[in-house]
Amino acid sequence: MSADSNVAGVGVNGAKENHLINFIKDNATLIALIVLVVGLSFADDAFFTARNLSNLSRQVTIIGIIAVGMTMVILIAGIDLSVGSVVGLSAVVCTLMMQWGVPTILAVPATLLIVGVGIGLWNGFWIAKFNIPPFIITLGMLTIARGLALTLTNGSSVPVTSNVFPLIGGAYIPPMLSSIVLIACAALAVYSIFRDVQQSKAHGVEVNMQELLVNGAVMIGGFALAFHVFTSYKGIPVPVAIFAVIAFAGIYTLNSTRFGRRLYALGGNEDAARLSGINVVRTKMIVYTVISVLSALAGIILASRLNGASPNLGTMFELDAIAAVVIGGTSLAGGSGKVSGTIIGALLIGVLNNGMSLLGVVTFYQLIIKGLIIILAVWFDVMQKK
Amino acid sequence: MSEVVLKMQGIIKDFPGVRALNNVNFEARSGELLALMGENGAGKSTLMKVLSGVWPYPTYEGDIFLRGEKVRFANTKEAEAAGIGIIYQELNLIPGLSVAENIFLDRQFTDAKGRINWNQTFAETQKLLTELGINDIGPTDLVQNITVGKQQMVEIAKALSLKAEILVLDEPTSALTDKEVKDLFRIIRKLKADGVCMCYISHKMEEIEQIADRIAVLRDGQTIGEVTPIADITLDQIIARMVGRDIKDMFPKVDFTPGEVTLEVDNLSVTNPDLPGSYLVKNASFVARKGEILGISGLMGAGRTELVGGVFGAYPDQTTGDVKLNGKELDIKSPKDAIDAGIALLTEDRKALGLFLDKSISFNTTISSLETISSKVLGIINTQQERKVVKEYVDQLGVKTPSIDTVIGTLSGGNQQKVILGKWLNSRPDVFILDEPTRGIDIGAKVEIYKLLNELVQQGVTVIMISSELPEVLGMCDRILVMCEGEIVSNFERDDAKKEAIMAYATGSA
Ligand SMILES: Nc1ncnc2c1ncn2[C@@H]1O[C@H](COP(=O)(O)OP(=O)(O)OP(=O)(O)O)[C@@H](O)[C@H]1O
Ligand SMILES: [Mg+2]
Repeated sequence: MSADSNVAGVGVNGAKENHLINFIKDNATLIALIVLVVGLSFADDAFFTARNLSNLSRQVTIIGIIAVGMTMVILIAGIDLSVGSVVGLSAVVCTLMMQWGVPTILAVPATLLIVGVGIGLWNGFWIAKFNIPPFIITLGMLTIARGLALTLTNGSSVPVTSNVFPLIGGAYIPPMLSSIVLIACAALAVYSIFRDVQQSKAHGVEVNMQELLVNGAVMIGGFALAFHVFTSYKGIPVPVAIFAVIAFAGIYTLNSTRFGRRLYALGGNEDAARLSGINVVRTKMIVYTVISVLSALAGIILASRLNGASPNLGTMFELDAIAAVVIGGTSLAGGSGKVSGTIIGALLIGVLNNGMSLLGVVTFYQLIIKGLIIILAVWFDVMQKK
Repeated sequence: MSEVVLKMQGIIKDFPGVRALNNVNFEARSGELLALMGENGAGKSTLMKVLSGVWPYPTYEGDIFLRGEKVRFANTKEAEAAGIGIIYQELNLIPGLSVAENIFLDRQFTDAKGRINWNQTFAETQKLLTELGINDIGPTDLVQNITVGKQQMVEIAKALSLKAEILVLDEPTSALTDKEVKDLFRIIRKLKADGVCMCYISHKMEEIEQIADRIAVLRDGQTIGEVTPIADITLDQIIARMVGRDIKDMFPKVDFTPGEVTLEVDNLSVTNPDLPGSYLVKNASFVARKGEILGISGLMGAGRTELVGGVFGAYPDQTTGDVKLNGKELDIKSPKDAIDAGIALLTEDRKALGLFLDKSISFNTTISSLETISSKVLGIINTQQERKVVKEYVDQLGVKTPSIDTVIGTLSGGNQQKVILGKWLNSRPDVFILDEPTRGIDIGAKVEIYKLLNELVQQGVTVIMISSELPEVLGMCDRILVMCEGEIVSNFERDDAKKEAIMAYATGSA
């Protein structure tokens, strides 16, 4: 029996309009982002300036870093509501340690370890070992971590005493070095796409031209924009560089590693995953640890940028992170989603926040609009699946 | 001759990359059971889904006539209203709801104010269950707590409750016990007498012989030959129409002398989580040898699935007993431990326990052996190598698919099974346990699977096969264990195994 005996011409009629509709469906968030950016550029002169965009990119990193972890959590049909509190706790713990005289270079990894790994393992342990719904465990941790942060500081803010620490969130990679880094990354990206295409051709795999073109265009556009923004205003902000590394690692892990595959399997069908030899407990523990460590890192960056930590830092961040993931097309039911979508989702939220502030939209309205957009995104996702 | 109630003409149905139906023509009469036969992926289920409005007009081409009148359904509700009931190949019940709620989903009996009349709903359900001869489940039992076979019976009850004029049954017996099949056939005969027209899809030839009046064969989305009365056609002719060639030897068993003992199971028990103190498997001990096919026979619910699941580490908290492989004591705490030790288990419940439905063939094939296609250190997957491996299995097993990137949920049931088989072959097991491996698989593919099992034993693999089909066990196994109520009650060598004796042990009457 040959595989192609059943392959016949698919209805040629309407193939063209289907293409367009599918294209829009596949790239809806991206298109929304571009439309928003273009619209805002016309609406306010201050928007499309290197300075504003550079600041915007730095603002996005905090939620972006958490959202990369949240993508993995939601991918395995879980949820982590404690991320915002972990941000606050880690900011407080790190700054307090420095106040006690611990040097920055030790305080940062110690915080990642104690707050990030500690809370992550705790969450993961109950969720994975005892099958307690992640919603409950992390909801509990949301309160516990916030309470700890308040207890440790007695409710007041902690100033930063170190002069190295503020660099994490506030420094820039010099423009010259930035351009070299950007060009090198762009070259690498082009090379890897080129190699993929070559290999696919060599193995007789059909290359999806449309996807290739979109990816190529987005990459070229992205790099060109980044180049323009970062070389004309101070260089790449350090937190943006950190976020870029984390985002890349996230994309690569989900796309190309065993671990990534297992996450998709786990979210798709947990029983089948277990019977396929996946160590469910370990995998879940790792995922919840990863997101806690990333949240702790986000907390450190935030404290550094603000030059101090208040125990209330990070309040409601879980909602923005979840929103970024969902807008980015990851299914809350688990099993399908991408980090690249999440990044676009985070950018969309960031641009929206930034744009609305520039246009002077009252904060209260901003909240309402953001909520509506989240609902719209989910509705779109549901409709698309029908 | 009775009236033609259903006529389908020139039906064409395309899926991306596949023409599933390519000009199908057939008709069915009232009071008859029309058997719809064909290989996996021939388009049987798709044809019935066109009929029942799952694929509404105009997603297909062609015409459907009910009693001579042209109909075009926009959805399943319309088809239902027109008197078409269907029992799908895959179960479609809601696990968290009761039997009654499932049967009368969206059609509960209500009073004038629109409140549900539960008493009547339960009473009607009970009536249906009694009619079907089901007395061990009640209307209020949750679907998730009853066996797959019983769930299938609930589906059947649901279809009956529609009082359809045309009833489609897509492989309804694949999960039923012999008794349940008998009850179903009794009902079918009654429906025939009432003038109901039934379209019946099955890969089981004995069933077709028993209850079919006429037979239509599909191959590659086309009707082959005319609709033929069952009396006018032989089994071999049916098979030839289905596969386009003759199959000479249904059970191509090769004689091969089994080697030393590989798997030793000692005193394995599995407790019943729903009923503390009782056992699903009780003190089971057996050995399996290198290069033999060991059959495990028994009725559904005899504990066969739980026995092999216990060996495989599927329920570590409920399992006690010792498992040795090649003389070495194993400490299996999870399926992963079992797989690492060289044991593979192809599960019975494909949809719930085997498949990642919305993932590709490729994903499904390599998920249990990712180590073999990825780097040691960071676990980076070599996509090219993966494609190569998957292609090999797809070709070897004859999976009918446009590409290896096709989502597995869109394959026909039988082809899904082949992919899962490939998945476990790829983990290169020393002991390969297969739970109902040929369920829902067409005759041609069955023979291919038997040949594959032969090859495996010749390579020194220990094969353990659970099967409810006695001819298959008798035809292919070197040794047969019989289970009854959680215990292994006898052990037959190939030459001593007789159908009657096995049945006697399986039913506990020996
Ligand atoms: N939803 C779908 N999307 C894409 N292709 C589909 C879909 N459903 C069925 N197909 C394809 O249509 C063909 C016919 O499938 P169908 O399920 O009708 O086969 P079948 O005769 O019922 O086989 P089996 O005996 O294995 O159940 C197959 O090639 C299958 O892959
Ligand atoms: Mg089918």
